[in-house]
Amino acid sequence: MPQSELTEEELLQRVARRDVRAFDQLYDALAPRLHGLLRQMLPEEREAEEVLQDGFVHLWESVGGFDPEHGRAFPWAVSLFRRKAIDRMRTLGRRTRLVDSAVLEQATLPAQTTSAGEGTMTDERRDMVSAALGELSRDQRQLVECAFLKGLNHHVIAESLGLPDATVRTNIRRGLLRLHELLKGGSSGRTL
Amino acid sequence: MDERSEELAALNALDMLESDEKRVLHGACVTDKELRAFSVELEATAAELGRLVTPVTPPADIKRRIRAKIRARSDRFASVSPGVMVGALGWGLTVALAAAAFWLWNERGKLERELASASDVIAKVLPAADSNKGQVRTLEGTLKNMRDDFEQKKAALNVEIDTLRKRETGAQARITQLIAEAEEMKKQDAQSQLQITTLRSDVWEYRRAEMTVVWDARRAQGALLLEKMPEVEDKKDYQLWIVDPKQSDPVSAGVVAVDGKGSARTAFKPAATVGSAAKFMISVEKKGGAEKKEGPVVLTGP
Repeated sequence: MPQSELTEEELLQRVARRDVRAFDQLYDALAPRLHGLLRQMLPEEREAEEVLQDGFVHLWESVGGFDPEHGRAFPWAVSLFRRKAIDRMRTLGRRTRLVDSAVLEQATLPAQTTSAGEGTMTDERRDMVSAALGELSRDQRQLVECAFLKGLNHHVIAESLGLPDATVRTNIRRGLLRLHELLKGGSSGRTL
Repeated sequence: MDERSEELAALNALDMLESDEKRVLHGACVTDKELRAFSVELEATAAELGRLVTPVTPPADIKRRIRAKIRARSDRFASVSPGVMVGALGWGLTVALAAAAFWLWNERGKLERELASASDVIAKVLPAADSNKGQVRTLEGTLKNMRDDFEQKKAALNVEIDTLRKRETGAQARITQLIAEAEEMKKQDAQSQLQITTLRSDVWEYRRAEMTVVWDARRAQGALLLEKMPEVEDKKDYQLWIVDPKQSDPVSAGVVAVDGKGSARTAFKPAATVGSAAKFMISVEKKGGAEKKEGPVVLTGP
């Protein structure tokens, strides 16, 4: 199979075998989305770029931990890069610092329009995630998006938004469980 | 799975936990396979949100910098493609692969043996772990009961402490009042010069009679206590006298009315100024008393 047609999972497997061209391709495929995420989490551009750089070096070194039978490549990479960003926030003391509520309220994921015609598998998956997110209640969605994009702990989010800690925790739990159910192909049977 | 575990798993999936809660979750995952799998699934679910992030193209030189960094860290990262490398190495690689295959076959056998012995150990440990879980639950129950008892005792003690505080406040106020009274009494005592005198009689009829006089010289007043006095004659009264050495005649301190039992208790003041009371006397005088002592003295002292 030509390398250009490989899936992200196959590219990762090749990177695990130290295929430099596969690494380049994987970088081209993932870097813009990962960079977009890092820019949301780290307000300064230079920091986002440094974490992006460190993240790919780490990916090269730890790619052996990726198991295609137990997960997809993109979420695996997102987890890795988010953890790197959170480590950086912790080092800079931003993890526990209160944030302007307006900044948190603006931390939203854009709604995707359904792909017209025959999209790629990546497009289809993105549409599925977008649709599942749209199923959450307004509060659940806001808190899940805010937590995902800002990398703050629940105490800081609760204090910054002026909400009880228990409300934040409950909405996050319910929202994420609902999302999990919907992405697994579940119906809206379970009330959360 | 309980809500608490679900919540911890959800918060962990979004990296929202701090170290203490993270340790609780990881501890629970060690013994709860279902929770462990669920936690991993939620992490993947949360990460799927990254698909909706608006892409931002990174600066062009970042890829070059990443490759340079990787190259610096690892000799295995080469700028040439793996195909070229294989071609150049030729037979050497073939021989190395054969040797590696043999080594891997050996290692596989060794790992299978290790896996089998590890499975045996785990099988032995698992029942103990179940029993430990039971013990932990029992301990948790005991601790909860102890904590409830403690809370009840604490509440009761707080009530008792409040009561004691109120009593202490009351007692303090009473002490303050008593101190003030004692001070007042001390002042009064300092101002008074009390003299207590007991009188006796040489007259046969009055031999059993007792008379006590308390005299306050500073205030020039006193109190009299009479017991076992015979009944006074008709148209007569007992009269008290104060003998002042500076005055020629005793000074009257008034008529003393004795009751049917021969007792009298009364306060008295002399009819004229007394410098010093050297002596007290009771005499029998005409009814209503006399200005000057005329009748016989029946009691005298000291």
